[in-house]
Amino acid sequence: MPLLNYSSLKLEISILEGTQRLKEVLVKVVDAVEQKSGAEYVEVRAQQLHKTMVTLKEGRVEAAKQGIENGAALRVLVKGTWGFASVGALDVKTLSSAILDASKMAEAASSRRKAPIKLAQTKAFEDNVALKPRKDPSKIPIEDKISTALAVNDVILGFDKRVRSCTVNYLDLTGTTCFINNEGACIEEGKLYVWLGVGATAKEEGVFTFSRESVGSTSGYEVFDVETPEKIGQMTAKRAIEQLRAKPPRGGAFPVVLGPNVVGTFVHEAFGHLAEADLTLSGSVLSDKLGKKVASNVVTFYDDGTIKGAFGSFKYDDEGVPAQKTLLVKDGVVVGLMHNRETAHQFNAKPTGNARAEDFRVEPIIRMRNTFIEPKNYSFEELVEDIKFGYYLKSLRGGQANLDGTFQVGIQEAYEIVSGELGEPVSNASISGNTLETLFKVDAVGKEFELWPAVCGKGQSAFVCDGGAHTRVKEVLVGGSA
Amino acid sequence: MVVLKQEEMLSLAEKAVNIAVKKGADEAEAFVFQGLNTSVGIERGQIARTSRTIDRGLGARIIINKAVGFSYTNVLESEAVIEDTVLRALGSAKASKPDKDWHGLPAKKPPASVKGTFDRRIEELHSEDLVKTASAMLDAAEKTDKRAFPIEGGVGSGCLSMTIANSNGVAVADYGTIIECSMATIGREGSEVTPECFEFNFERRYDINPEWVGEEAARLAVSALKAKKIETKGVSVIFTQFALQQLLYFTLINAVKADYVQRNQSVFKNKIGMKVASENVTIYDDGLLDGGIRTWRFDGEGVPQQRTLIIEKGFLRNIIYDNYTAKKEGKESTGNGARAGYLSTPNVDSTNFHILPGDKSAEELISEVGEGLLVYSVQGAHSSNPASGEFSVVAAPSWKIKDGEIVHAVKGAMLAGNIFQVLTHISGLGDNERKTGQLVAPWVLVENVKVIGK
Repeated sequence: MPLLNYSSLKLEISILEGTQRLKEVLVKVVDAVEQKSGAEYVEVRAQQLHKTMVTLKEGRVEAAKQGIENGAALRVLVKGTWGFASVGALDVKTLSSAILDASKMAEAASSRRKAPIKLAQTKAFEDNVALKPRKDPSKIPIEDKISTALAVNDVILGFDKRVRSCTVNYLDLTGTTCFINNEGACIEEGKLYVWLGVGATAKEEGVFTFSRESVGSTSGYEVFDVETPEKIGQMTAKRAIEQLRAKPPRGGAFPVVLGPNVVGTFVHEAFGHLAEADLTLSGSVLSDKLGKKVASNVVTFYDDGTIKGAFGSFKYDDEGVPAQKTLLVKDGVVVGLMHNRETAHQFNAKPTGNARAEDFRVEPIIRMRNTFIEPKNYSFEELVEDIKFGYYLKSLRGGQANLDGTFQVGIQEAYEIVSGELGEPVSNASISGNTLETLFKVDAVGKEFELWPAVCGKGQSAFVCDGGAHTRVKEVLVGGSA
Repeated sequence: MVVLKQEEMLSLAEKAVNIAVKKGADEAEAFVFQGLNTSVGIERGQIARTSRTIDRGLGARIIINKAVGFSYTNVLESEAVIEDTVLRALGSAKASKPDKDWHGLPAKKPPASVKGTFDRRIEELHSEDLVKTASAMLDAAEKTDKRAFPIEGGVGSGCLSMTIANSNGVAVADYGTIIECSMATIGREGSEVTPECFEFNFERRYDINPEWVGEEAARLAVSALKAKKIETKGVSVIFTQFALQQLLYFTLINAVKADYVQRNQSVFKNKIGMKVASENVTIYDDGLLDGGIRTWRFDGEGVPQQRTLIIEKGFLRNIIYDNYTAKKEGKESTGNGARAGYLSTPNVDSTNFHILPGDKSAEELISEVGEGLLVYSVQGAHSSNPASGEFSVVAAPSWKIKDGEIVHAVKGAMLAGNIFQVLTHISGLGDNERKTGQLVAPWVLVENVKVIGK
């Protein structure tokens, strides 16, 4: 027996231009579905986005690209099981038929479910979040974006003859999303992301090096007034050249000082993922640690979606919950997890605004926003001065964590610390270990705060920031390809 | 949403090309893709979600005065949108810069013939069937061992179609199916938690075994319990297909792409004809592999896919090209212009990266190891140095081998080395070939890999 009959929804069919009309249609679809189906919960999330991308390889414009992505994600909860549908259309008939489909599938699957999924209560917000960028990327001609990318390219290739290749990727994304559910939430939010990623390789006498940097912002194209092509290009090229004379690290356990870029990724990968409540429930090593000490006293972690202009910031998440500053660890004790409405209900906690979906093609899942270690009072010199031999891990290449608490963070720029001073550059280092063991070995945190943009993968991609202040760890396993 | 027929997709592509040429494009190409996906998701031991998605769109590549512009849309409902998309691509091309190495879009060629890429049974599957398959997998895992906990997984099926038309008269269409079931588990006993263990089937034909996947994922998780640390030293390592895929994806597979070679990013530059691997290593890029996950009649530019010999008994024979990189060297594309759906322009990528199997069973390979590791998966491969091939990763899950037998699971061991040296240290290949997406390979035994333990 079908849960609803969409042909009875006698509504206008059209592709919509104005968001006001879009909102009206979504409200009608949600209302009608709720009345006609047995769904406990119905939501529609529609997007109308425009993307611009430019790829340069050694200054050659590979292609200047522009795209339109309009579509809707529809979710229903039927007998405690989720049904999801995604369609690249915004007309009533398509949306209604997709919801019908999703409801039927969810109902079929619910027969296997022992405990029904329930959602934590939240306030239903009605809001219209308009963005006010100083320089709106959608109003900047693509020629200017190509010029910015070319400027970065020129700095890198002009830096040193040994730089052999340079790739510059520019991306911006602008538009609106509309979120409506059957509890009365109705949120329209402007979206704006600007991102520039650079990679350069250098070669000398059979030694290959690779260096990359990125810039990411949610405030506007004005980010390039601060993160100038000169600055980004210099940073990338200098590292690629310096790494040519770098030596591999000794393998083994050493004291290390982690730069804000590295400690941020460590917090994100080694701790953050374990504190995403879905993974905590899946049996991550934090599953029995709420309220317990997992780190030394100097360790305080936040995941904060409210930092203005940061790459991981937004006003409402993709379940209509406002983003907030979430305290995860306070003075070494786990005090909170990151939730969506489903896990919040299971933990009897409040949703934290961490439910994010990459786009209309996928469901929202628990994701981080801007994740960092809270700064304390050490200067960089003070952090380094007592180390007889160790490593300063300045910039990261990538990281990954496992539910058992094993982490790995690869480093693209590192230096030896010898008798309290920075020494020779070190190549291709990585650190790994057990998160909880390592967190107890953090013995000092610096005072300068930095956030670095990143793209995190958990099946879907999410724009985030990671950061904090320089952090010293008494001992961690350093691996290299020696 | 109304599902588009192949003829309709092709006619949309041709329409876009015609509009572009009429509006002043020197050359034009349109790629139209449609994917229908149905899936059932498992979370924490239960079926949690069902999903159906329709994603389709058109990507137009337009060349004016050797400058390339591209635009895409996922709205195909009206002619006006197609025209807008073409106009945006034209605008992009005008804003872009001429490329002296641009020598035209591919010429018309008949598509290749392929086998095992379509199965009507997959097309006819209902979500109820997928719920049953997911249940069977879940039951099998639960029955195998109580200490194994299925954290996530699921079953998914897809019907994909793509068409390409260009101003040289290319007008081709292909259609294929795909089905996969997968399960990730962890082993739990007392306070011990194992790393995530994973098993799956991924096929073009309706040829999956959910019970086996469930059992195997559970068995792996339990055998990863009671893990111990090991000493730092150089030992033999057997890499299973998952670990191999992770290690090769950012290193070897990039190194054989013409784009990387031409741009001085590959250690294989000027190495054609030279020995780059052990003599027991032969690798093809096989775009025609029977039932291959990436087997199609043509690539993302409408060029017929083919089977290209990459490494023959240790010697580098060929690299892979798309249309642009081939023409730059006055060569023919090897049918490796890959496309991430309608959202992007083509890029050089491998189709099915096929490492030919050897003749040893898995047991025989293990029995040859005096001291070493069996590595199922590695963590952190994406942080390898893609240019040099240096890697430093965590082997998890992995097991210690002593005197030809697996003795215990290993905790937190790192592997460090250079993937191009690893290739020259391969001493044995199993007969247990399988597909893990892009890679088709057996287990591989490598001598003298540095393991960093306690």
